[in-house]
Amino acid sequence: MTSLLNSRIIRFLVGIWLPLLLIWWWWTASADSVDPFFPPLSAIWEQFKFNWIWQLFPVHVVPSLRNLFVGYSIGIIAGVVFGALLGSSRRVSRYFEPLIDFFRSIPPVATVPVFILLFGLDANMRIAAVAVAATFPTLLSTMQGFRGTDSTLLDTGNVFRLTKFQMMWKLRIPSASPLIWSGFQVSLQIAFVVTIASEILGSGFGIGAFTVMSSDSFMILDAWTGVLLMGLIGFALNVIFDIIEKRSLHWYFGQKKLTR
Amino acid sequence: MTTAIAINHVSMEYKTPKATTHVLENVSYEVQDGHFVSIVGPSGVGKTTLIRLLTGLAKPTAGEILIRGKRIEDAPEGLAVVLQDYTRSLMPWLTVEKNIALPLRNQPLNKAERKQRITESLVEVGLEGSESKYPWQLSGGMQQRVSIARALAVRPNLLVMDEPFASVDAQTRFDLEDLVLKVRDDFGITTLMVTHDIDEAVYLSDEIVVLYGKPAAVRDIVKIDIPFPRSQMTTRNDHRFADLRTHVYGMVRGLE
Repeated sequence: MTSLLNSRIIRFLVGIWLPLLLIWWWWTASADSVDPFFPPLSAIWEQFKFNWIWQLFPVHVVPSLRNLFVGYSIGIIAGVVFGALLGSSRRVSRYFEPLIDFFRSIPPVATVPVFILLFGLDANMRIAAVAVAATFPTLLSTMQGFRGTDSTLLDTGNVFRLTKFQMMWKLRIPSASPLIWSGFQVSLQIAFVVTIASEILGSGFGIGAFTVMSSDSFMILDAWTGVLLMGLIGFALNVIFDIIEKRSLHWYFGQKKLTR
Repeated sequence: MTTAIAINHVSMEYKTPKATTHVLENVSYEVQDGHFVSIVGPSGVGKTTLIRLLTGLAKPTAGEILIRGKRIEDAPEGLAVVLQDYTRSLMPWLTVEKNIALPLRNQPLNKAERKQRITESLVEVGLEGSESKYPWQLSGGMQQRVSIARALAVRPNLLVMDEPFASVDAQTRFDLEDLVLKVRDDFGITTLMVTHDIDEAVYLSDEIVVLYGKPAAVRDIVKIDIPFPRSQMTTRNDHRFADLRTHVYGMVRGLE
């Protein structure tokens, strides 16, 4: 038991030493800074606490996260549905693949102005932009996951006369789920980027909006807190995602560990 | 003796843009009810192709296959299969219990009856108590036992096994062969097994079908008249066993 604890602590320390070192370096190097664009980290931290714990949290963070989650959810569901369709039939995918390749190659951030034209500057625009951006990574991974379904598995299912419903939900989707989850992860990262981007080019409320507005108004300290916040939230999202993924794919990770 | 499977003049060819490969030509054979039949032949002769035709995964280019008098279209009813690669046939996201339960869901059983079947099957293969393990937590031999348990649980009319013991070590193979004999004793399911191992074929079967040739046809049907019960210790020492084995081996190698 102690060795397990030790290894966990050690792994945690190994992961955290570099960030801690960099923070310490930043703190000490900037401590006496008089440069208006690079204030001391201590001042940034003070402003951060003032802004985000918890005064401006509901004003900016909540709308951003809401748009992120709604857009992301729509995106990944669409991605799985279409990815499953395209991955199940070679014929169908041949018709649609050039189109998908075209659209997914467009950098999602660059599509935000198009969404502004279509939807205006409100929350729906942001959700739409995030949803579309989040669809493609999941779609591609799901398609790959379905294409790679093991033929022996499919044969087994067919010989045992599983229904079409069972073949899809109890065989193909679980079989593809490791790849689907990797799609979810990339989609999350893109969704986050596009959420911020949609706020920069739009206006109003949101972490990105706050950061840009602060920067434009030369409230540099506030802008820095915005950047810091984005980093922390992005990191937290990934940590939460990892936890959920590990739960959902426990069988996959367990199998990988045992069969080397 | 009723005919469980009738393979009537079955031919199979694969077409590619460049050429047509004739794998099976005019294969005819009848499997009797309750019999254990092994299909042997040189590597690549078409044994797995024949299995795919029998399980409805492929359609013959000529001829027909009747199971209990009915021509098969897709996967026939009452068929269970045990494949060579158990890691790719069992579902790693399901526990042993759920793996066995999956094909059972399409049968008219309630929850309690299903659980009963699963327990019985696991007891039959010697894996009592492993319900909540995952397949990949078990050894190769145990995983193949789960595969066999899954096949038994549906109470099939016909059991098809495609080189079921080729991926396990020799000693485990002997254990699993004896398990198959036990299952044969307890259930009497008509069984068709493809194997490379001629000793195994002689040890287990009532009859051996030798496929041979390019394209392949039934070269011979060898009746195995060694009485049951058979045992690893005594049967393999038997004169008759050695004679039959040599005979089949000779045909498979094209020496007779």
